[in-house]
Amino acid sequence: MVQEAESKMAKSNGGILKWMAEYDRRYVYLVLFLVVIIPLLRPIGMAVSVSPDTQQYYNVLNTVKPGDKVFFTLNTEYSGFNELHSGIVASLRVLVEHQAKICFAVGHVEATIIPDLIIKEVKSEMDANGYQYGRDYVILGYVMPNEPAVAGMAMDFHAIVTQDSLGRSIQGTFLDDVHTWQDWDFISDFSTGLSTTYLQNHFALRGTTMIVNCIGVSVPSEKPYLNSGLIKGLLQSMKGGAELEYLIGHPGVGLTSMDAFTFGHYMLIVFIIIGNIGYLGYVRKTQTEARGG
Amino acid sequence: MVAFLDISVVAVGAFLAMCMFSTLYGKSNPLYALAEESYIGFATGLTIVWNVLYIWQTGIVNMMNGDWVLILSVILGIMILFRIHPKYGYVARLPIALVVGAQLGLSLRTIIFTGFIQQISSVIAPLFTGSAQTLLYNWTIAICVIFMLTFFFYTVEMEGALGMSARFGEYLLYMAFGASFAMTFMGRLSMFVGFMQSYTIPDWKTPYLLGSMILVLALIVWMDKTGLREKLTPEE
Repeated sequence: MVQEAESKMAKSNGGILKWMAEYDRRYVYLVLFLVVIIPLLRPIGMAVSVSPDTQQYYNVLNTVKPGDKVFFTLNTEYSGFNELHSGIVASLRVLVEHQAKICFAVGHVEATIIPDLIIKEVKSEMDANGYQYGRDYVILGYVMPNEPAVAGMAMDFHAIVTQDSLGRSIQGTFLDDVHTWQDWDFISDFSTGLSTTYLQNHFALRGTTMIVNCIGVSVPSEKPYLNSGLIKGLLQSMKGGAELEYLIGHPGVGLTSMDAFTFGHYMLIVFIIIGNIGYLGYVRKTQTEARGG
Repeated sequence: MVAFLDISVVAVGAFLAMCMFSTLYGKSNPLYALAEESYIGFATGLTIVWNVLYIWQTGIVNMMNGDWVLILSVILGIMILFRIHPKYGYVARLPIALVVGAQLGLSLRTIIFTGFIQQISSVIAPLFTGSAQTLLYNWTIAICVIFMLTFFFYTVEMEGALGMSARFGEYLLYMAFGASFAMTFMGRLSMFVGFMQSYTIPDWKTPYLLGSMILVLALIVWMDKTGLREKLTPEE
């Protein structure tokens, strides 16, 4: 009787462990869809803590003075924009509140629509601060697809850029005062890893204050540049954007996504635990048995 | 009142996005092929249009304003197109060599500082002055750098203390790769959450997203059961 029960238990354990090791991966995708969409439709409002890197980014952003010329570079594809959206809008809000002169430029054709989208989101702040196209901000569009273009902009801006995104001359705008890298006070870069290295090499290295908001995948490769002081601030992925929204006291798409974001990570941890139990309890055991151990 | 154009954009966007996600079903299907080919077509078209516009704005317009030296870059650009001609393909080598040379020259001049000298100097930190936390950080960095460097000593036999150091360095590298993987997951999840959010905010978009999810899933399962999936999926 006892032996029978033990055998039954072993079989049932093997069944669960086998399932844990070999379950259909489509369950993961299905659960991920549910785990993300349910908190988006029914938010809980989980607490957000501010990381030291975001605090540093915010502090550097706050050093911008009225009239400072800011190169606002969007080195992202449209897919990356979803991840950087909150950081871009929150950073722009701070710059507008500090009455900086902002030049928007993009490094990918898919990003050409982004300046208009984000300006629409901060329109009330721009109107309140009396922003006028040309005098206070310019949208250049697609201008920095490669290193020679960025290097050229650092040495002679008007040799590389002569028109804005709509083909109008940039003469008569605040960019008349910009000639070399020295004329920029600040670079705020939003990156999936396109022209950021070029901006670091030809602007930040020479001394222009540069901050970066990058996607999560790029954080390990950008972090050494923060630690070595080349860039002064690093906002990490959507989480960084949410933290910045919290710091500036203006909730947006970042903070509202943090529930889904957090549950997505919990889900990953659960699946890692399930996978490891399955591996140790079934795969490894089976391999050992097959080797006659 | 939401404009018809906005509704159309969201409905088509949500449907095509869900078609793209249908690859997660694990079997190739015609809906995924439709979305994939559409994306490639639109993206290529957009890239061509913007690049032509870029050439126009930075090259042709400036040439018309008297900056004739730019004609050289247009000629070099045309020379690259010879690459597609089997007989005169060699003509493309000159502009490609110039581009690669210029890019490398510009990179080498700066990366030696940003990627090499600055990275080394940032690791050299004071080990005996500063707060307890700073000291802990600095000692950790110094020790970990030494351990990890020893892992890459390929010309000596890894024995004794050196072997232990290399082994410890190996584990530290695994930890770094683990952190890197975690950041990759965070990035991909952020992208996914951002995408889902763009189709759930404002509220009027949600039915189109949920409808597309159900429709695409139902269509794939139905096509799979009836054998239409294999029949309609284009060959790769």
